[in-house]
Amino acid sequence: MGALTRAGRNLSRRKMRAFLVVIALGFSLAIMISLPAGILANQQSTQGLTTDYNNAVSQMEQELTLITVTNSSSSTSPSPGGGYGGYGGYRVFGGFGGEGNYMDESVADDINSIKGVVAVVPTLEVGEGITTETFTGYGGNTFTFNVSSYTIEGVPLNSSLIAGNYIPLPTNITAGRNLQTGDSGVVVLSQNNTGYFDATVGGEVNINGTNFQVVGVHGESGSSGFALGQAADVRTLYMNLTDAQAVSGLTGQVSTISVYADNSSDVSNVAQQISGLFPEFSVTTEESELQTIENSYNSTLAADQSAISSTQTVAFEEIAVAVVATSLIVLFVMLYTVRERTKEIGTLKAIGFSNWNVMSQFMLEGILLSLVAGIVGIAIGSVGAPVLSGLLLPHISNPFGSPGGRSAGGGFFVTRSGGTPGAGVATAVSAAAPSPELMLIALGAAVVLGALGSLYPAWRASRTRPAEAMRYE
Amino acid sequence: MSEVILKTENLSRTYTMGKRSIPALADLNLQVEKGEFVAIMGPSGSGKTTLLNVLGCLDKPTKGKLILDGVDVAKLPESKLYKIRRNKIGFIFQTFNLLPYLNARENVELPMEGTVKSGSERKQKALKLLELVGLAGRGEHRPQRLSAGEQQRVAIARALANDPAIILADEPTGNLDTENKYEIVRLLANLNIDRGTTVVMVTHDSQVASHTERMLLLKDGRIVKEKQGLHLAKKKRMCPYCGSKIQPNDERCPSCKKRL
Repeated sequence: MGALTRAGRNLSRRKMRAFLVVIALGFSLAIMISLPAGILANQQSTQGLTTDYNNAVSQMEQELTLITVTNSSSSTSPSPGGGYGGYGGYRVFGGFGGEGNYMDESVADDINSIKGVVAVVPTLEVGEGITTETFTGYGGNTFTFNVSSYTIEGVPLNSSLIAGNYIPLPTNITAGRNLQTGDSGVVVLSQNNTGYFDATVGGEVNINGTNFQVVGVHGESGSSGFALGQAADVRTLYMNLTDAQAVSGLTGQVSTISVYADNSSDVSNVAQQISGLFPEFSVTTEESELQTIENSYNSTLAADQSAISSTQTVAFEEIAVAVVATSLIVLFVMLYTVRERTKEIGTLKAIGFSNWNVMSQFMLEGILLSLVAGIVGIAIGSVGAPVLSGLLLPHISNPFGSPGGRSAGGGFFVTRSGGTPGAGVATAVSAAAPSPELMLIALGAAVVLGALGSLYPAWRASRTRPAEAMRYE
Repeated sequence: MSEVILKTENLSRTYTMGKRSIPALADLNLQVEKGEFVAIMGPSGSGKTTLLNVLGCLDKPTKGKLILDGVDVAKLPESKLYKIRRNKIGFIFQTFNLLPYLNARENVELPMEGTVKSGSERKQKALKLLELVGLAGRGEHRPQRLSAGEQQRVAIARALANDPAIILADEPTGNLDTENKYEIVRLLANLNIDRGTTVVMVTHDSQVASHTERMLLLKDGRIVKEKQGLHLAKKKRMCPYCGSKIQPNDERCPSCKKRL
């Protein structure tokens, strides 16, 4: 019959008391492991979001090496290809002042010689199948619009540009094949135009008197999944740039020159040089967009860090309270136990127990009680960490915007793999789960706090004078 | 010449209550020889329990000498006293003082924890002692399942655990009915006869005291009277009333039928 067995027997002797004390201590210890788990979950969430944002920004930095050169000398008219994104219907242009302005293709060669330029892609975008539509508006005013039935996108089919993925070819080929290097006299038709031309893969389409063989059909839609600089008109017909120039009577002309800088840091310099060489052209970069996103990212991160930091402070305070509460519970329970068992202490001393024997007996009981409570606390913490963290940690307003939303000015979806897009730290505690290391630490803490809490009562027990203890009733 | 196992010289114990000093023992001189069965009697407040506590090293004398088995223990520190209590003294209490969460055997094993290392050895010895006090087969019973007399037997077995030089019994029959009272006295007497165990018993029951060898009357912390008891005759296997031959386990004298 060892001291440990006696300690166990004593605890089980008063089951209801032991149960209540273990539950109280267990909750205290559960708080000790739940809050760090909650904070860890918050930090991991922030880390995940930071990684996502870093990835997004670096992806954008790569993509934002694009410089778009257009001829904007006729400012009242939107130049063809000047806007991104399709409208899901007919392209409308020219209603306010004729067609856009084109540039000589040789401009592309001049830009290509600028240092820091890796690729130059001249493209020609022309609205075709034009009909005139009249619209009577409020008050009887009549507006006349030129409406194109489809758009020709002439792209250079240069092997190195295609290999470098610089050519804005359709990506969603639903039938046949895409355009290839050296293709001539062929087109990739929009799925929406197969009816208009009454042609499909293998058939022919007639454009301004010239027949083109349809080699593929694309299903590009205008509302999602497009990258910067890539037009996605749902009625776009892709063909060789030379063919496009010939069929639209714009030989040697291009509407847009997409210039790709070596890296994002060169963009500004290259754009300046282009503007210097061709002051009459409009040169636009995506830098400001990048800056906006970076600013947004930085402020988001700062807000998040600050929120986490304040949460940590509160958590530390609460853990400190739990630690003190645990020690005090053990202290009071053991003091009561010592008082209640004074006569027993007297008996033990009378039959030859030393002060140390008595002290270790009571300390062992306190430690055992805390150890059992530690196991219960771990069980409670494992299951209830999200609830306890949610209840005890301050709520953090989601600094990353609404779930699934676009980041400010970015036009990018920032998503976490396997997580809720832009969920932020506010909901992160729901994933709080104490790690095995944390559980071991909690068990260690339970033992230490049990020992600390029972130290004084056990010492008092050991100092009890046997003769007085025997008289105690 | 008989060996003195316990001797006090001018033993005093004074309690202080506020500014008042209350002498519980006053220059008490006592001598107990090895193998004696002594009863200390006296009215309430005469200092019986104080004397037993001091003799048992549970309380320290204010003055005087206390020689136990040749060692003056009066001024020993607690770090040495607990060994004296463990190895040389066996205690029996009025209220038995068994630990309720241990069974009879475990209670008997308890004092041996510091003296017998082997658990199985402790167990064997505890079972033998329980058999000695007439509780063979009851070792696994918790105190709650034992009668008062049986509980006191367990306490006697516990007191014998470390083969002490002396057994100090504080009103061992105080909580027992008549039948059990004599059973316990007979048990102590037999232990004294068979094993030569020295027993000092405090009691206020003169009938119980009469079954010992020597009765000391305590008054105001001093021994005021000493009287011979019936036990001396019993030691010689004689009926103290009629002188007939008796056996150790006889409850009554076979000839005169008087309770032994």
